[in-house]
Amino acid sequence: MLFSYNWLQSFFKKKLPEPEKLAEILTIHFFEVEEIEKQGNDWVLDIDILPNRGSDCFSHHGIAREISAILGYKLELPAARLKEIKNETKDFLKIQVKSKKDCNRYTAKVVTDVKVGSSPVWIKERLRALGLKPINNIVDIANYVMLETGQPLHAFDLDKISERKIVIRKAQKRERITTLDNERYALDKDILVIADSQGPLAIAGIKGGKKAEIDKKTKNIVLESANFNSKTIRKGSKAIDLKTDASWRFEHEIDFNLTQSAVNRASYLIQELAKGEPCKGLIDFYPKKLGLKKIKLDLNYTQSLLGVKIPASRTKSILKNLGFDILVSSASQLMVRVPAFRLDISIPEDLIEEVGRIYGYENVPLTFPVGALIPPKRNFSIFWKDRIKDMLRGAGFTELYNYSFVSKKQGEMFGHNVFDMVELENPLSAEYQYLRPSLIPNMFRALEQNQKNFKNIRMFELGKIFQKGKIGEKRMLTAVISGDAFYEAKGTVDLLLNKLGISDVWYDEYKPTPEHSKSLIWHPKRCAEIKVGQTEIGFLGEISPKIIGELKLKSRAVVFDFDFEKLQKLASEEQQFMPISPYPAAIRDIAVLVPRDVLVEQVLNKINMIGGSLIRDVDLFDIYDGEEIPEGKKNLAFHVIYQAQDKTLSSKEIDEIQNKIILALDKDPEWEVRK
Amino acid sequence: MNIGNMAKISLKTIKNRAENEIKNSKNLKDLDGVYKKYLDKQSELSQILSSLKKLPKTKRIKLGKEANELKQILKKDIEQKTKKIKEKTFKQTYEKEWIDVTIPGKKPVLGHLHPLTQVKREVERIFELMGFSIIEGPEVETAWYNFDVLNIPKDHPARDLWDTFYLKNGMLLRTHTSPVQVRYMEKNNPPLRIIVPGRIFRHEASNANHEFNFYHIEGLMVDKKISAANFRAILQEFYRQFFKKSVKIRMRPSYFPFVEPGFEVDMTCTVCLGKGCAACGRTGWQEMMGAGMVHPNVLKNSGLNPKNWQGFAFGMGLERLAMMKYKINDIRLFYKGDLRFLKQF
Repeated sequence: MLFSYNWLQSFFKKKLPEPEKLAEILTIHFFEVEEIEKQGNDWVLDIDILPNRGSDCFSHHGIAREISAILGYKLELPAARLKEIKNETKDFLKIQVKSKKDCNRYTAKVVTDVKVGSSPVWIKERLRALGLKPINNIVDIANYVMLETGQPLHAFDLDKISERKIVIRKAQKRERITTLDNERYALDKDILVIADSQGPLAIAGIKGGKKAEIDKKTKNIVLESANFNSKTIRKGSKAIDLKTDASWRFEHEIDFNLTQSAVNRASYLIQELAKGEPCKGLIDFYPKKLGLKKIKLDLNYTQSLLGVKIPASRTKSILKNLGFDILVSSASQLMVRVPAFRLDISIPEDLIEEVGRIYGYENVPLTFPVGALIPPKRNFSIFWKDRIKDMLRGAGFTELYNYSFVSKKQGEMFGHNVFDMVELENPLSAEYQYLRPSLIPNMFRALEQNQKNFKNIRMFELGKIFQKGKIGEKRMLTAVISGDAFYEAKGTVDLLLNKLGISDVWYDEYKPTPEHSKSLIWHPKRCAEIKVGQTEIGFLGEISPKIIGELKLKSRAVVFDFDFEKLQKLASEEQQFMPISPYPAAIRDIAVLVPRDVLVEQVLNKINMIGGSLIRDVDLFDIYDGEEIPEGKKNLAFHVIYQAQDKTLSSKEIDEIQNKIILALDKDPEWEVRK
Repeated sequence: MNIGNMAKISLKTIKNRAENEIKNSKNLKDLDGVYKKYLDKQSELSQILSSLKKLPKTKRIKLGKEANELKQILKKDIEQKTKKIKEKTFKQTYEKEWIDVTIPGKKPVLGHLHPLTQVKREVERIFELMGFSIIEGPEVETAWYNFDVLNIPKDHPARDLWDTFYLKNGMLLRTHTSPVQVRYMEKNNPPLRIIVPGRIFRHEASNANHEFNFYHIEGLMVDKKISAANFRAILQEFYRQFFKKSVKIRMRPSYFPFVEPGFEVDMTCTVCLGKGCAACGRTGWQEMMGAGMVHPNVLKNSGLNPKNWQGFAFGMGLERLAMMKYKINDIRLFYKGDLRFLKQF
């Protein structure tokens, strides 16, 4: 919010510090001054007033009060000496508040015989500097007093108000109003209006209407200064999507007492600058008078919370300078009365903040806490996350952080129905309309971008995905390798699971039914469910050539996609040493001709079953189905490594097992061991 | 001539011949020939030695000694020559095997951790050393946990401080990690020391300084007598360890509904160390985080009695730390997935 340096100066006889210096002081003790701009011979300070101080600091008076408390300068209040005429306000005007819940106070004064014209230069300059457009002296004064006191005011042309009666009520459904800036608004029954017998004169607390507008011919005016319910104004302003200087202030609540002083101050300025003659008295609807809050402040608690001992005398003087009254004071306690303009203060901690910030947080020492030495709890989820990331990094993968959002098109391309995806009520754009149902879509967006600059891409992400229903959100681990790289990906998965201490892993060839959504994204002949026991923990497969084509990718791509929560549950840090056999190992080869659709695993299982504990390892070193191999067959070649833990195996012993294996393999009429 | 004289002459001749041949040997094969010729069992020298048996004892001893000495001399000569030849061969091989050490090395293919992961780990490490546990929480939240329990009532202008993404199902995307404070306090009794790293969301258009999803690290410490002075000490220590510079922090007033008093925390500008430069807008300070003393209503809402417990809470942006550490000028780079960026870390 913008403030004029010269205007702030007008509250003090003593010279204020230079603008830069003043800005620094305010930043340290009050709120941040974001910018200082020179305007003619004035400076405009942009102060970031946070919502708790809207009730008193959306005004020059409020800021001046802060400066006075921080610097200890005496505050001089502007004049309001009225020369009222004999006629009484109440003889000219009737006011009826129908919607009492929405209007805490309504104060009005009639000023007669005004000369509408242009405002004096000093008013125009201040308004312009603070971003307001001068209109005429009456409207300008109303705005000026708002910037000065924080109380929004409105001036109506008295003679345009039918029956000279003002009613404060809720709008009727589809009631319309044309505002001062010639905009038309359709209202509804939640919006508060100021009306006469014929219709709305203003949207209460938000914007004035055309009907009772001040114009060149206006002679008699009604000055309105009200206190509307903050929630009513906030809702109304949202409903018609109109925020104004007035609505902004009302939303933040305003001191109930301001209506009177502000209306008198405005009347005074109109009397001085527009030759108006204020009528005697006010009309003041104020049914529920508010008392002042009292708070007990414990000085020991103040010290304990701030970590610094501030002398009682200093505490008291700070509070007094800010407008608080000290009612009772003992060695360790103060009874403090809160001024009406400090709506933000209601608990002792609020007072402690006031004392602390004026005293200066720079005077708070650096003290390490004293307490029990409790070691932090280990977070296993983070531990395993880190482990997985380190392992994949070691395997040549680069980590991505993608957006948590996808478009409808992206979701659908990867087999996610819009009905299954979590949709945003207020997305930034169609591109980010849904929460990601999987990490794969955005990973492929990155793949598409990166293929321009890189070949052999390996990337992964560990992050949350979202789904409808009970689970809501869960973490996934997803990685991609570009190229015809199924076995590289599988090898990585094996290594990863091994490092996580997960055993019993097997790959179940996946046969999607055409109606299954997964059939859309995977190459139907190159994908597998990764299982531990009977539980699926992840998926490994090549992305369907259709998607590769749609995304115009230059090569195939293989993905593995894990449910991190399941991985984490299975993972174990336990590891047992395998004794190294002191006896030599012997290697024998076996080559077997089998039908093309026989799985390598079937052959391996047979070899291992026969060999038992004497086989240390079986290593597939060749698969061949080219020339010299009968149609529909393939040749598999293995190194079988024999080794015992307790003795040197003789060649006779080895030959015996080897022959048993050969016999077993040959048993199947379709299989043939090549000798 | 008797055997004795003959042997004597032979020894001399053999010595001359052998020494000559050793000298003229060009390679190990030549030398091997020399060895065989003079020192093997079939060699002249061996024959002489075996013929000595027929001589009388005194002569035999004398000649035998001489012959053995010659054997030793030749062996030694051959050994020395072998060494010389080997050295020479190595030298020649080395010459042939010269490489250009300035040719760029072949790098092993290593992957890269995202810079935010690296910075997050460092933050976690430092706070864990100070006894803080790391806690996580959900990204999809209820308005209750994101706002109400944090003392941000409905229809209050303070809610406008957080531009929020709402879901069709009535939930929202958390705008800060603060809901986890309450979730944690509901289930754990003080003393509490936690940090909460996590992804948060704000409904605002992205630009070089803003993203609509980013990371926060929340901190919370609650005990009997935790003060603003404790907060100051712990945070300054954190920044010193993180930036490895003796930076200072300053606190100034701010407003967050879930703390009272509330602080904005500035740190000595790491670029100019407080002198004032372009990076800090000539102030010598950089804004680092929002913080404050936990509001009694938040303690109450979490099931703790504010008469018994007090503490501080803070929230800082992870991207900001990473941007300062690596001098990154655009926050969007973190989420673009561009390997040209990611492979630098």
